[in-house]
Amino acid sequence: MVNALTPETTARPPRPRSAGPARTAVGPRARARRHQAVVAYLFLAPVLLFFAVFLILPLGFALLLSMSHWAGFHLGDIQPAGLDNFTSLFAGGSTFLTPVLTNTLLFALGTVALALAGSVLVATCVDNLRFQGLWRTLYLLPIVTTVVAVGNVWKYMYEPGGLVNGALNAVGLDSVAFLQDPDTALPAVVVVQAWASVGTAILILTAGLKSIPESYYEAAALDGAGPVTVFWRITLPLLRPALLFVCVTQFITGLQSFALIIVMTRGGPGDATNVAALEMYRQAFSYGDWGTASAAAFVLFVVILLVTLAQLWIFRRKGEDA
Amino acid sequence: MIRRRFPWLSYLLVVTGAVLTVVPFLDMVMTSFKGPGESGTLPYRFLPEAFDLSNYRAAVDQLDLPVLFRNSVVATTVINASVLLTSSLAGYALAKLRFPGRDFIFRLVLSTMMFPPFLFFVPHFLILVHWPLAGGNDLLGRGGAGLTVSIVALVMPFLVNGFGIFLMRQFMVSIPDEVLEAARIDGAGEFAVWWRIVVPQTRPVMVTLGLLTFVDAWNEYIWALLVSTANPDVMTLPVGIQMLQDYVDPTRTMPIVMAGLVLSILPVLMLFLLLQRHYVRGIMLSGLK
Repeated sequence: MVNALTPETTARPPRPRSAGPARTAVGPRARARRHQAVVAYLFLAPVLLFFAVFLILPLGFALLLSMSHWAGFHLGDIQPAGLDNFTSLFAGGSTFLTPVLTNTLLFALGTVALALAGSVLVATCVDNLRFQGLWRTLYLLPIVTTVVAVGNVWKYMYEPGGLVNGALNAVGLDSVAFLQDPDTALPAVVVVQAWASVGTAILILTAGLKSIPESYYEAAALDGAGPVTVFWRITLPLLRPALLFVCVTQFITGLQSFALIIVMTRGGPGDATNVAALEMYRQAFSYGDWGTASAAAFVLFVVILLVTLAQLWIFRRKGEDA
Repeated sequence: MIRRRFPWLSYLLVVTGAVLTVVPFLDMVMTSFKGPGESGTLPYRFLPEAFDLSNYRAAVDQLDLPVLFRNSVVATTVINASVLLTSSLAGYALAKLRFPGRDFIFRLVLSTMMFPPFLFFVPHFLILVHWPLAGGNDLLGRGGAGLTVSIVALVMPFLVNGFGIFLMRQFMVSIPDEVLEAARIDGAGEFAVWWRIVVPQTRPVMVTLGLLTFVDAWNEYIWALLVSTANPDVMTLPVGIQMLQDYVDPTRTMPIVMAGLVLSILPVLMLFLLLQRHYVRGIMLSGLK
């Protein structure tokens, strides 16, 4: 799963066929190959049909919209706009770069950093404990919960009379208006997104940990390596594929997500928690500006692509150093 | 290694984390029992004064729970069946069959995971509105509301899942070619090879994919919100519960919402606890080696 994300494996050329005997039996071989191609496309038919209707067609339409003015509803009202939508996104006075795109990046970065740190700690520690199944099940609970539940429960916990402020007051600290204060709103939402995604990360990292051969640890123990050295020199390097997978998938999720923010803050106060995906949603459904919304979606796609490629590049370079 | 020297440190960390994970759920359950004026007031109290079910009754009264449940169950089941079938078929072709265009299709599958879902909301909606010969539409998709008036609208965009194909393909690659070749020599067609050898061998990862798909479909919010705005008859549980906030007595809003949330989470939680052993094993086996 992890390896296939790196370009080398996805771009693997087809294996050369054994040349010798094939020459003498070209007829049946070629027929068998053609038969296999037909069968393969039959197996793929539902998927390809779906992609044609629900991937290629929508992408074309979205691309068209990104270069048009359209208020929704009637397809006949689409007006060509060239690159206006894109230039207006980056024009002075536009909120798209700051705070929206900055918020998006901070949101994703904060989420991934918190979830990664938490999951590495927990996954390595759980591996050493009794009742591993119980602990893992507990950590997986947030995954099975709808974002509507997560958002509402935490929104309520952040309120002045909620659990978080109750705990702060109990230790003698003043209440904080987490979601109403522009300075704390974004970090508060980041914590919730990280809380909700740490379970998946633990699951994947545990799978990675299980695949590290026990003999490496035994050898390190014989050499008298301490636990910290073992962690940095053995566990972490060998966990790299799993870490890469967690980083890439969670960054993609973080950069795209807005359901949690809709439920918790609706982007507020002001634009303090407004992220790109929510801004598109608003442009389209609140302001009826589908062109700008679609253009912003493509910009977000490019950002996601760049962030993903950057991670692949960093992880590969680290790999060569090691 | 760490255990032998610092067992208490590991326990401390894991238990603290587990408490942080579970406490919001407990707070949700406790709040769902709190009476009027008991929630959101200072000072904060964790336990309710009494465990009475009036909030649950209010939630059931406000929501058309049977309909919401039915919509959620139907949508989730159809999506799951379709994703499992199409992912397994396509995964087999991409992992074990040779044909021109294979690498291109594989990359296309990978790329689907990178597009912001938002990009597709409106085009998908328009495609459903203009679906030919449905909901009063003519052959060119004009005149009616298309598939948006049907529960089909809820499931259509999720019937195929790029991640699912990717996961199945990764898992199937590790099935030895000799096994498949032997079956072919015995005269089995590709469909028989897939059904009799590949499907049974991939059962653990199918359970994983099934659970992931189930959870995603059950919890899906944005598309369901869009579709049920156009047609309230297909409203799902998450949409219904989020709407609950606007309808009820403000001093009791949160407890009633929490009661609704508890009701909507329970089925997924049960299923997850029943299958979690397979789920974890499936992820472990799915090629993260």
